[in-house]
Amino acid sequence: MYLIGEFKEKDAVAAAIRRLRASGIAPADLDVFSEEPVEFPRGVLDRPSRMSLASVSGAMLFGSLATAFIWWAQHNYSLVTGGMPVFSFWATGVITFEMTMLGAIMACFGWFLWESGLVRKRDRTAPVPEVDPGSMCLRVRCRGNDAAQAIDAMRTAGAIGVQRRGEA
Amino acid sequence: MATAPELLPYHQIREDLFRPLSRVSRRYLFVTLIAFIVGTAGLVAWGFQLRRGMGVTGLQRPVFWGVYIVDFVFWIGISHAGTLISAILRLTDAAWRKPVTRAAEAITVFALMIGAMFPIIHLGRAWLFYWLLPYPNSRLIWPNFRSPLLWDLTAIVTYVTGSIIYLYLPLIPDLAQLAAHNTPWRRRLYRALALGWTGSDREWHALERAMKLMACIILAVAVSVHTVVAWDFAMAVAPMWHSTIFGPYFVTGAIFSGIAALVLAMAIIRKVLRLEVYLTKHHFDRLAKLLLLMSLLWLYFTLAENLTVWYGNDPKEMAVFGARTRAHYAPYFWTMMFLNFAVPFVLLGIRRLRTITSATVASVSVLIGMWLERFVIVVPTLANPRLSSASSFYTPTWIEAAITAATFAAMAMLYMIFAKLFPIIAVWEFKPHPQEDD
Repeated sequence: MYLIGEFKEKDAVAAAIRRLRASGIAPADLDVFSEEPVEFPRGVLDRPSRMSLASVSGAMLFGSLATAFIWWAQHNYSLVTGGMPVFSFWATGVITFEMTMLGAIMACFGWFLWESGLVRKRDRTAPVPEVDPGSMCLRVRCRGNDAAQAIDAMRTAGAIGVQRRGEA
Repeated sequence: MATAPELLPYHQIREDLFRPLSRVSRRYLFVTLIAFIVGTAGLVAWGFQLRRGMGVTGLQRPVFWGVYIVDFVFWIGISHAGTLISAILRLTDAAWRKPVTRAAEAITVFALMIGAMFPIIHLGRAWLFYWLLPYPNSRLIWPNFRSPLLWDLTAIVTYVTGSIIYLYLPLIPDLAQLAAHNTPWRRRLYRALALGWTGSDREWHALERAMKLMACIILAVAVSVHTVVAWDFAMAVAPMWHSTIFGPYFVTGAIFSGIAALVLAMAIIRKVLRLEVYLTKHHFDRLAKLLLLMSLLWLYFTLAENLTVWYGNDPKEMAVFGARTRAHYAPYFWTMMFLNFAVPFVLLGIRRLRTITSATVASVSVLIGMWLERFVIVVPTLANPRLSSASSFYTPTWIEAAITAATFAAMAMLYMIFAKLFPIIAVWEFKPHPQEDD
């Protein structure tokens, strides 16, 4: 089932997350909803990311493919180059660079869609709280018999209201 | 301390910034109609050129690059507004950027779309533009990957893709808000574009990471694109083109004209959409200082470029130098110097004169001056080739003038339509972030 706690203060949300995690709820089962980005201190609700790695991988993939394609195309129909090399990295380096950057861009965007969950909803039945301007909502996924403890943790941390929603 | 508009209540910020999306004034319709008519006239002129051939332009031996290439370089330069202003300010966490960035990013996308049209218009047989693409074909040949024309293609494709994504990413949270309250067709549009954004911390984290990464990537791409445009010229062993400083010279000019375009766009948006509270003197003052800095940097490069040619006294280069500074193209050259240096230096350098109006006037001056700069770079070199007996003059025809005017109209129209469909200032970024200081 899901619990949704409403908070006015960022510190209260952080305190609630700490209490919930101490009671055994995993970070993957916690989601904070807000109308603006909220930064918590390190260790509260870290979301590790591989976006940089994905971008670099995309860049290397596109760059390598572009270079390989140019090499193949230049040899597939050899131009008369007057003794100069048929394939020259320097003369085609601009295209390799641009394709490398295009790979980084595509990978970054793709990874953003994936990592944010916009194209990969973990649970389509999960309730999405309506967040009022200036407030934050903490959504907790927990088992029914853990609900009372989680509600207590959120109220103690400063939640102004806690609702039960749906079944897990 | 936060900037003044951020002290407003959030519901008022949202109301103020979403309001322009739901109302269409007569003035807006009138300006859009004028832009549409001018744009249509340009399409008619292009149709005439397609039907009659390139002979209807002023292009003739030895000047085969004219206004279309000038326009291409000019618009690609304008596109640097978004990336350079937005990406640099985002990476340095400058709080004053907030009302400026989306306006700049939109300029980038539209200027690139318009700029990318010109090589196709310049091809003459525009319907064969796909020959540039490396596709398996019956002739069993591939494009020449060593050609700067193909470098341009790949650079622009990368830049357009990156710029659209860079504009789109920070739009998503605003689109999700707009999806909740609007007319049915708009609701469907915004909902589709918002991709189901809910405002969870996973989404915000991913968005912030993606924006930072994209800012880094787009900066590198922006610099490379205008360097590649510069190399279109510099790779030719032509007088006053074959120069090692052309890359940075063009990038500087691009940033210079991009900032001018941004100031002008902001001044118009401020008046038309009544956003005086959000686009304040503070923002114009900072951009004006940047514009002044770029003017000085541009002057430095221009002097370096011309002085070395003059001192070297190579006859072929001096023929072009003479044409630029003393002969047929001298009025363009000196007007360019006046508009790009004298006007901004006086209007923006003297603090008492530095107002929103003067910054706008200086920006218009710089935009005209930078168009002339591109003309002075492109045409005199081709009109004075190494074979001096082949020298000639170039005067654009009404076809080229109409198509050029149409691109300005198209830019205005695209921008106005964008401002009516999407908030021109990022609403979610306006909320005071506790960790952010000005």
